[in-house]
Amino acid sequence: MPLSNYLRIWLAGARYTVVRTLMFRGDFLIWSLVEFFWMFVNVAMVAVIYSHTSSIAGWSEYEMMILMGTSLLVQRLLLGFFWTNFFEMGRNIRSGAFDFFLAQPGNLLFMVSTRKLDLDGLLNSFVAMALVAYSVHRLGLHPGAGDVLLYAVLVLAGLVIHYSILVLTSSATFWLQSAQGIEGSYFTFAEFSRLPREAFKGIASIVCVWILPVVVTTNVPARTLLHGFRLSWALWLVALAGAWFALAVFVFNRGLRRYSSASS
Amino acid sequence: MNKYRQAFLVGLQGNIVYRWNFAVRGVFSLVQLAVVFILWGAVYAGTPSVGGFAFGQTLTYFTLLVVLQFFTGAFNEDYQISEEIRNGLINQFLLKPIDYFLYRLSIFFSARVVSGAIVLVPVAAALAAFHGRLALPEGGWRIAFGVPALAMSAMIQFSIAYCFGMLTFWLLEIQGFVILSMAVESILGGQLFPLDLLPPSVFRAAQLLPFYYQTYFPAAIFSGRIGRGLATEGLFIQLFWALALIALARLLWCRGLRRHTAVGG
Repeated sequence: MPLSNYLRIWLAGARYTVVRTLMFRGDFLIWSLVEFFWMFVNVAMVAVIYSHTSSIAGWSEYEMMILMGTSLLVQRLLLGFFWTNFFEMGRNIRSGAFDFFLAQPGNLLFMVSTRKLDLDGLLNSFVAMALVAYSVHRLGLHPGAGDVLLYAVLVLAGLVIHYSILVLTSSATFWLQSAQGIEGSYFTFAEFSRLPREAFKGIASIVCVWILPVVVTTNVPARTLLHGFRLSWALWLVALAGAWFALAVFVFNRGLRRYSSASS
Repeated sequence: MNKYRQAFLVGLQGNIVYRWNFAVRGVFSLVQLAVVFILWGAVYAGTPSVGGFAFGQTLTYFTLLVVLQFFTGAFNEDYQISEEIRNGLINQFLLKPIDYFLYRLSIFFSARVVSGAIVLVPVAAALAAFHGRLALPEGGWRIAFGVPALAMSAMIQFSIAYCFGMLTFWLLEIQGFVILSMAVESILGGQLFPLDLLPPSVFRAAQLLPFYYQTYFPAAIFSGRIGRGLATEGLFIQLFWALALIALARLLWCRGLRRHTAVGG
């Protein structure tokens, strides 16, 4: 199927989401508030901790807010574009409704990932951007257009890694049908992305920075805003994004072999 | 009471089916503890004391918080109750001499027995990992105060979940409210940071809310973050909230049933 057809399918899905959101406006409002409040909770935590200390692993309060904002931005983008689809994938595998996707003439992972959007998540990504922008302002930084563009590219690379981890955790349902809500374990991994790289020592550094790269997904873009672009960091992040995406596709396809319709 | 004992036993069997859910949660609670260890380790790297407490005390608080939640937390009771109302499964309870609140409470306790038993394995792993870093305070009174605080914490958490489930009588979708409530509980229940790190006036205000007694209060008693005076006062406020929430749960059930339409057989 040509790429233009995938774009048309995605646009049709986006149009369906907008129409559905307009039908359930109250629901949209509640979920937007939910997302916003969760973001507030995270920012409040940083503020409370910094009322007792001036630095965490060498990061000042507003440097930490940039890191937190970047983490929230990546996560809101993930929630907005993909989360609902993978949340439903677990249920569909258990119920056999996953057949619906198998019958579609296109790349299965694309079809599964992009059927619905969450506009509340996407809306709150602007709040996360505002948090980053405000923190940049408070630190007196003046990033140029090129820095902002690089930041955006690195955030997208981070999004690919988070997406891959979501695919991996959701694919576990192919093997563990009785483990309801296992896709939610993604959020546990994502908590590491709010911590500065320098806080990780010893084995934690090896596991969380090198093996499971969620720390890198936020630290590299945040550092680019704070200290300028470094090619080695960017290459590191992009290479990790490619490797993790390939692993996610491989595991998803292996999991598919175990799917046996409604009896699975 | 025999019927609720049977409900408890059926609940045990039902929850054992989902043992993998609890096991996965248990393992991931270790990951959460790792996040706590790394974050607070970095915070304490620059200072020996935060809010008057050493690193070991704060680590003990978070470890207890995570473990105790498996014995007292309401994980998805609100969703289960909501589904039973939405699908008309509560109709059977309207025709039988069984109290729905006590029935759900029996199921809740059975779930906590299963989740509590399964979490013991990750707890043993956590104790091995943090051995020598945890700092449990002395004082037998902490056990005497902590156990009833734990029991009332379970009642408060269950009653709040039950009340959210009851909202299904009025609303089509309650998940948004449930997740919003989780956000409030995470911050005012002391799950993100010990509440005693808040400014004194805010900490004092938090003590008047039920969220304080959900998770922070029992963990703070056992980990030594609050003294005997505050614990005594807290037990009375916690008792008030437990009774008030049970009364609210009863009221919502009675009011909700007036709106309920039982269709079919």
